[in-house]
Amino acid sequence: QAILCLPRSFEYSQKNAVLVPVAALGVGGMLLYWLRSGRKIKTIDMGDGWWGSGERPLQGKEDTSIRPFKIETSDKEIEDLHQRLDRFRFTPHVEGAAFHYGFNSSYLRKVVAYWRNQFDWGKQVEVLNRYPHFHTTIEGIDIHFIHVKPPYVPHGRAVQPLLMVHGWPGSFYEFYKIIPLLTEPAKHGLNEGDVVFEVICPSIPGYGFSEASHQQGFDSIATARIFHKLMNRLGFKKYYVQGGDWGSRITTNMAQMLPQSVKGLHLNLVFIARQGLGRLICTMLGAYVPWLVGFSREDARRFYPFMQKNVYDVLRESGYLHIQATKPDTAGCGLNDSPVGLAAYILEKFSTWTDKSFLHKDDGGLESKYSLDELLTNVMIYWVTSSIVSSMRYYKENFAKDPDLRAHSRVGVYVPTGIAAFPQEIVHVPRIWAKDVYKNIISYSYMPRGGHFAAFEEPKLLAQDIMQFVQKVEQL
Amino acid sequence: ELCSSLAGIMLLEVFLVLGTLLMYFLFSKKKEEMLPFKDGWWGRGQKPVTKEDSSIRPFKVEITEEELSDLFRRLDQARITEPVENSCFHYGTNSVPLRKVVSYWKNQFNWKKQAEVLNKYPQFKTKIQGIDIHFVHVKPPRLTEGQAAKPLLMVHGWPGSFYEFYKIIPLLTDPASHGLGDEHIFEIICPSIPGYGFSEAPHKKDFNSVSAATVFYELMLRLRFNEFYTQGGDWGWLICTNLSQIAPNNVKGLHLNMVSVSKLGLTDLLSILLGRYFPGLFGFQDEDVRRMFPFLKKWLYRILSESGYAHIQATKLDTVGCGLNDSPVGLAAYILEKFSSWTDMEFQNLEDGIPESREFSLDDLLSNIMIYWVSGCIVSSMRFYRENLGKGIGTQKHEK
Repeated sequence: QAILCLPRSFEYSQKNAVLVPVAALGVGGMLLYWLRSGRKIKTIDMGDGWWGSGERPLQGKEDTSIRPFKIETSDKEIEDLHQRLDRFRFTPHVEGAAFHYGFNSSYLRKVVAYWRNQFDWGKQVEVLNRYPHFHTTIEGIDIHFIHVKPPYVPHGRAVQPLLMVHGWPGSFYEFYKIIPLLTEPAKHGLNEGDVVFEVICPSIPGYGFSEASHQQGFDSIATARIFHKLMNRLGFKKYYVQGGDWGSRITTNMAQMLPQSVKGLHLNLVFIARQGLGRLICTMLGAYVPWLVGFSREDARRFYPFMQKNVYDVLRESGYLHIQATKPDTAGCGLNDSPVGLAAYILEKFSTWTDKSFLHKDDGGLESKYSLDELLTNVMIYWVTSSIVSSMRYYKENFAKDPDLRAHSRVGVYVPTGIAAFPQEIVHVPRIWAKDVYKNIISYSYMPRGGHFAAFEEPKLLAQDIMQFVQKVEQL
Repeated sequence: ELCSSLAGIMLLEVFLVLGTLLMYFLFSKKKEEMLPFKDGWWGRGQKPVTKEDSSIRPFKVEITEEELSDLFRRLDQARITEPVENSCFHYGTNSVPLRKVVSYWKNQFNWKKQAEVLNKYPQFKTKIQGIDIHFVHVKPPRLTEGQAAKPLLMVHGWPGSFYEFYKIIPLLTDPASHGLGDEHIFEIICPSIPGYGFSEAPHKKDFNSVSAATVFYELMLRLRFNEFYTQGGDWGWLICTNLSQIAPNNVKGLHLNMVSVSKLGLTDLLSILLGRYFPGLFGFQDEDVRRMFPFLKKWLYRILSESGYAHIQATKLDTVGCGLNDSPVGLAAYILEKFSSWTDMEFQNLEDGIPESREFSLDDLLSNIMIYWVSGCIVSSMRFYRENLGKGIGTQKHEK
């Protein structure tokens, strides 16, 4: 009997032959519309903040003037430093320690001797003052920045504004070698098309000459907002942003907050939140069949062996992060009082994060990549401004409520993004994983050499990558 | 025939089964394992051919004027950072109460007087395995007829010292005078762990808790104690435990005020998940449940928020200790933070970190800090973390 019914149902379906496809089209159309509209770009809420001491004043507008500023030093300052260097209490290390237990104290003695007898802070201050410095008050605190315009702009070329943000334990000074390459590329043999930049390097509040927040909760979102306000105040509506370390996080937040103002985002470090099971499976499979999970051969070379590079190495290197994210005031107290302690703490990072193999060297390989003058100038910026404690508080403000830095990874980054992956960076993030957050990667480069402090160590390589990225964006 | 062969087979089977069971039982029964001694040479350079000087030399804590004036100069010139508003001790040691401590340290703390307090008990030094070991040795002032004092080795931890025991020593050596029953009277030996206080720091790598236990074992033998009790908390817990593992026949009893486990088996994990609801099933007492749960909050978050120091000391001690050996205020901030939060986690919410009715007097706290300062031992004290934890938790032989 069922078989007899069939012809009957087919008759019915002839009528429905018109209705069904129409319905399907209708549903399909609605689905498509829903999908397209569901992809409206989410942004981070800008919000507002007040970081000055005490209560926010009710009356009066904030002083928005931009005040030129020159770094100064005094005999008293230098003498105090020298006295402290002279009375440094040295602890011998165990035999054969190299840099495996931290900064080697025998080598530290040599650094201190140079610092005491040959390093000329007065001269270095002149070097720092080579570029124009400014202060301006935003959300209750003084923001320091340097603003370098190209000395000569060829006819018809557009000057691209570029905001470059440093990290920890760096400073605006990290960019001093790359700035000339970006503002005067032709002079330095870089002819990456028509790109010339106007560079702005602020100091993150709490670092160097930027005032530290007096209130709790000053994190990368607040920083991103303040830097947007800064660029606005300088008269820029659309600009490029570049960063590594905290700078990477801050510029990413900037792109998530006001995508319409960020022409392009360039990073030399990618932060990604740890994902769950899928990521883990990818990781395990990737060791054997990298192509299956979207890893390139270079990705595999840099990423594996996984446990060694991503677990052990990270655990070994993240003690500072752990203590700074939990007890910054404790960790920083002695460092603000002992310049040698401060130098050991900061320079250890310049050693290990530049090249992991430097751990095995008695001198940490520091002078193979940097001069002592450069390294100590960066340390002095933390010393003369007494900013080490506030710089460490940044870790607590960012990590303590959000250990995985997960909160804004759902908000994708849709602005054109360029990533420069340096081989000695602490952790390698393959492009396929970066795409989880950065939806619009225009350029992803495997850099041939260099570590965490890319602008400081390999300014030319980084400048070239930034330029080719901006070229591509301009042509979009 | 069938019957007998069947019976024969059955008998054979029974014997086989019994035999297997017996063999299994014999071979799988865990014999009491002893951890081997960890002999070593920790002095500078090569081990000399000549026999080691095993004399026991009396020692006194001494002060020099130069030491004191150097300390005061550093305290005077301390550069202290303002705290973030309303942060109490959530960011670590708040510099407002720290300033008060520094002021007390400069103006009221009397190190000469405190040194006399430290010298109240006889102290000694003796060379073992190439390094000078410092220890306090207190005999009971009087013993009743026929009573023998029980030798008790007490081991401190980080950031403590032998000084931690100064209040308990009289209660153990002379209980009657303090209102305690005098059934048990002790003879106390409190050594300083090599690298801490007045004990020389090892010059070679790999000096871990088993090495320390071996050194202390030799110390007790040198003092002619064949059988002794041992007590410890913090690192003292681990060293005393190792001592019981390497010399179980010499350690009469082991008392601990801290215990840690490094390997979590399946039952342990289950007990974490279910122990709150079925305490009896996992052998938890009511008090255990009260202290352990809610697990995440009390255990995991607490450990994460408090263990930054251990993480950095287990990896980059030469770095982090450097500034602390150069800045007495930095050293004080670092150490005092532990005396605050490890006494009571709630102290973090107080403005000065330690409540008014102080558990410890400022004199006591500063004396402990002074031991680290005058001996310059903060870096070597941290090295112990690296040598014990640096290769990963749960990987050491003694943990198995």
